[in-house]
Amino acid sequence: MSTALTPYLEMSQAIAEAGGEAFRKCYQCGTCTGTCPWSPVTEFSIRKLIRLSQFGYDGIEDLMWGCTTCKFCVDRCPRGVEIIDLVKSIRNMYAGGGLLPTSLRSFVGSLASRGNPWSGDVEKRNDWGKGKYPLFAEGMDYLYWTCCTVCYDPRNVLVAKASAEILNRSGLSWGLPGTDAQCCGESVKKVGDFDLFERIKGNNLGLFKAGGARKILTISPHCLATFKQEYGGDAEVVHFSELLDDLIRSGKIQPKKDRGGLKVTYHDPCYLGRHSGIYDAPRDILKALPGVELVEMDRIREQSMCCGGGGGGLWMERAKGERLSDLRVEEALATGATVLATSCPYCIAMLEDSVRTLNADDRIQVKDLTELVYESLEG
Amino acid sequence: MSRIGVFVCHCGLNIAKTVRVSELAEFAGTLPDVVVAADYKFMCSTPGQELIQNDIKKYNLDRVIVAACSPLMHEKTFRKVIANAGLNQYLLSIVNVREQDAWVTDSEDEATAKAKALINGAVYRARLLQPLTARFIDVNSDVMVVGGGITGIQAALELAETGKKVYLVERNSTIGGHMAQFDKTFPTLDCSACILTPKMDAVLQNPRIELMTYCEVEEVKGFVGNFDVKIRQKARYVDHSKCNACLACTEKCPGRGTSEWDEGLVKRKAIYIPFPQAVPQKPVIDRNACTYFKKGKCRLCEKACGQSAIAFDQEDTFREIKVGAVIVATGYDLMDTKPLVQYGYGKYPGVYHALEIERLFNSAGPTGGKVVMRDGREPQSIAILHCIGSRDKNHCEYCSRVCCMYSLKFAHLLKEKTHGDVYQLYIDMRAPGKGYEEFYNRLVEEDVKFIRGKAARVTDKTDNPDFAGKLVVEVDDTLTGRFATIPVDMVVLSPAMKPRTDAKEMARLFNLSTDKYGFFMEKHPKLAPLSTMTEGVFIAGACQGPKDIPDSVAQGTGAAAEALTIVVKDRLELEAATAIVNPASCCGCQSCVRVCPYGAPVFNREKNVSEINEALCKGCGLCAASCPASAIFTRHFTNDQVMAEMEGLMEF
Amino acid sequence: MDFEPKILGIACNWCTYTGADLAGTTRLKYPQNVRTVRVMCSSRINPSFIIRAFQLGADGVLVGGCHPGDCHYGTGNLYARRKLAITKKILEFAGMDQKRFRVEWISASEGNKYAEIVEEFTRDLKALGPQNTFRIEKDSRERI
Repeated sequence: MSTALTPYLEMSQAIAEAGGEAFRKCYQCGTCTGTCPWSPVTEFSIRKLIRLSQFGYDGIEDLMWGCTTCKFCVDRCPRGVEIIDLVKSIRNMYAGGGLLPTSLRSFVGSLASRGNPWSGDVEKRNDWGKGKYPLFAEGMDYLYWTCCTVCYDPRNVLVAKASAEILNRSGLSWGLPGTDAQCCGESVKKVGDFDLFERIKGNNLGLFKAGGARKILTISPHCLATFKQEYGGDAEVVHFSELLDDLIRSGKIQPKKDRGGLKVTYHDPCYLGRHSGIYDAPRDILKALPGVELVEMDRIREQSMCCGGGGGGLWMERAKGERLSDLRVEEALATGATVLATSCPYCIAMLEDSVRTLNADDRIQVKDLTELVYESLEG
Repeated sequence: MSRIGVFVCHCGLNIAKTVRVSELAEFAGTLPDVVVAADYKFMCSTPGQELIQNDIKKYNLDRVIVAACSPLMHEKTFRKVIANAGLNQYLLSIVNVREQDAWVTDSEDEATAKAKALINGAVYRARLLQPLTARFIDVNSDVMVVGGGITGIQAALELAETGKKVYLVERNSTIGGHMAQFDKTFPTLDCSACILTPKMDAVLQNPRIELMTYCEVEEVKGFVGNFDVKIRQKARYVDHSKCNACLACTEKCPGRGTSEWDEGLVKRKAIYIPFPQAVPQKPVIDRNACTYFKKGKCRLCEKACGQSAIAFDQEDTFREIKVGAVIVATGYDLMDTKPLVQYGYGKYPGVYHALEIERLFNSAGPTGGKVVMRDGREPQSIAILHCIGSRDKNHCEYCSRVCCMYSLKFAHLLKEKTHGDVYQLYIDMRAPGKGYEEFYNRLVEEDVKFIRGKAARVTDKTDNPDFAGKLVVEVDDTLTGRFATIPVDMVVLSPAMKPRTDAKEMARLFNLSTDKYGFFMEKHPKLAPLSTMTEGVFIAGACQGPKDIPDSVAQGTGAAAEALTIVVKDRLELEAATAIVNPASCCGCQSCVRVCPYGAPVFNREKNVSEINEALCKGCGLCAASCPASAIFTRHFTNDQVMAEMEGLMEF
Repeated sequence: MDFEPKILGIACNWCTYTGADLAGTTRLKYPQNVRTVRVMCSSRINPSFIIRAFQLGADGVLVGGCHPGDCHYGTGNLYARRKLAITKKILEFAGMDQKRFRVEWISASEGNKYAEIVEEFTRDLKALGPQNTFRIEKDSRERI
């Protein structure tokens, strides 16, 4: 059998029609692959994926799951290629053909049947709060949209609790969505199941509307970016870090406890930073905490490094040595910080996992900003 | 005893990096008759020149030696410097310590030692230098432009605009050149004819331009300011003074020749104008295609002509013109792609070269502007193959500069006209001109498929049933690292631009140097890109190297300005280094008379000695070396001067 | 120390001297044993120059001109070619190793050829050793 490649332009055309049209602009300079956080640790080449797509060449299926949609390449691309759109549409084409990797099937299946990716019982969505926190009702200031991950993932449940406690002390009126809330759908869109995404989006938009929510507060930057960029509802969407920054500035909450020279470094989540442009609020919060010293890593803000959890990465298995979160934890350790703060449930899950596998529990702790602020509140 | 000043230039670090300049100046100071020796960073700069002039006055110098770059670079500059300080300009000696010393070795010791020997030679020679008096000649104010392509047209029009008389010599029966074959021009997609034909007409209408089509330069004699040119008017077999351009003759003609203008894609008549917008609009007869010339009867054109303009008995005629300057703008040839058998040109009818494609696009072309192949089909997929023969040690090592851009233009036009799939197979995309990168981006967005890899083969043999009836282009797609096969209907080759096949003869005719590829060589690649080693002869356009239209036009204008610097003068200063006969030694053998290519030595029968006509002498020195009696001196290169320099060179 | 031969070069202005300049502008490296006199045309070269060069102690003489047919003055180098061929025979007759005298046609675009020839000639002359056939020491020289 011939090993020669032959263009299959119909495939290329189909990818373009699925929404990846911008890949045509690519002139294969390689800025993307040079920028890609995976390049130092894996063979994955986003440039090659674009190349194969331009011609409909064989081999797309072997490369298409590598991207974690961190957006670093998109920001650097000299031709303005929306590379994430291409990745999504390729996955859409192929996932539609039954090519979803095994590791992703349970998460997509769970989303389809239960509306969350963690195979959690639908009715237990708000169990983490043990009934202590109000449900959203019309007229309240904020609908606090708790990400599925903070509801079901035991580590992230701590984040849910800390954030809810802060809200309770802020004097704001707020409430949680009911158990009919579903995942924002960000990951399922990135893995290419556009139909399921549309279904979920319809459900959630219905909830926003029925509840009369004017402001939606998200703890996950993935929800934030998805609501803002994909949903198109009327409600204002705010990330928890932005609100927290406001609350501290206005004195509505007063973190006064002295942490005694706690060294904290901050990891910018891709979806909060590059996708949503929020870099300062998290840092301002940390600087406002008494006795906390912010020490920065080398790659921060627009140059931040992905934890590996986006684009479905959270549910994919990676061999040791190919985990971006391991590299990131090592970078954090090098700063001398004892706390690695971040502001995304996926990042928390990924980084926490790496701290454990690197046996670094005694040297560094992964914390959400809400947890750090909560710890600094007196009483 | 002379008083010599030696001035050593650092040339920034160009010389100083390898030659120990202060040591060199110190050494020069110890040589006989040297009264001052100095070194300075840039001797050719204003402060450097002032340094020399001040020292000439301060030390009362009567000879100056400058150790710097090649005399071909700045001898003239420094001659002016010393002349302005009151010295005769020939009392200068340049020591080439840059091009022939500092730049050709890495060793400081070797470079410094060689520089010392060279300076010593110059000192020996300088002591024997003589002041010479410049000669002046009258200048003919007319200019000849050779080549009626866009470059030559531009040059001719610009010169005529200044009021000068221009002879525009073109070997084809029309002016216009390659540009007249094109349909569109990159990157603006301007219609080629719309911007060219008005200029062609302007040439025809301009009373100061004498258009000489169907003519070739036969012989060039003389020198700057006074060239004598012999021009052959090839027989047209049509008396253009009678012809009223009705073209009734062409309608009646049964003869068929190959249309050069359409790159052989179709036939034309034996009596023809190459294309409808040709200038002049008057026909010529292609002798090899004409029924009368082949069989002795026909003469249908003669019957059709109401002006009795057909002249079967016409012969080539010759004409002599006198001009002060010459612009050579003879253009390029497209490389013949047949020898590159791997691309199947001439074997597969679906393979075309660039100029053929230009004709297919052109509404005045053989298909009326439709892209249909030789078999009548419209191609649904086309591969454009870059660098055919270019950037290839086996053929043309250089980049042909325009192919990337015209290949993009082809891709755009092919997309527009066929809506087919278009592939570009390239090594590197080169789009460095104004608006070029933007054009490339536009084509990328028009969904042209760019494959980075040089096409290796075109074949119609394939096992793949899907490829039946297709031409398959084989290529290493270097961006995937995989071998790829591209099935297409049509293949377009973008071949190298080469010097004209007769560029070598042209070079001899005009006394031009050619580079290693055969393109005419400019005097200096940066500072004298349009001048040549022959004063008064300028080059412009693609005869100097591959060039696109904007660059060619710019050069045409530039060459016009260069030519004007000569013909605007009434008189011109000539090199004073001519030969002179010492009548006391002359034995009257007339060897000099026989060898001189310029007829400068004349035998004076009364005195029985040879005499040199200085106006004709160019100072080559042949007569001096041929004189058995050593009676002839070549000023500035006398035996004594040359041998003294040799002595100095061999001492170190 | 190794024997470093001295080469006296005589180059025509239009081709070989320009070609040697080109070797410089393209930064080719070659041995520094050659010292060049520039003349306008190779036809200017009088056979006595060659003999004189050897008398002055040159270990080799390199004459460079335009390729035959490409002379700036039309036919100068054709005369030079004949004259220098005879010169070579005379030198040989007088006992000079003819390998010490080279005539080369080097055009303005052949910088690399110039560098290669100097390289090769230097190597050959090193093998031949010092030239003493014609050499006259300075004190006992007279003008020709």
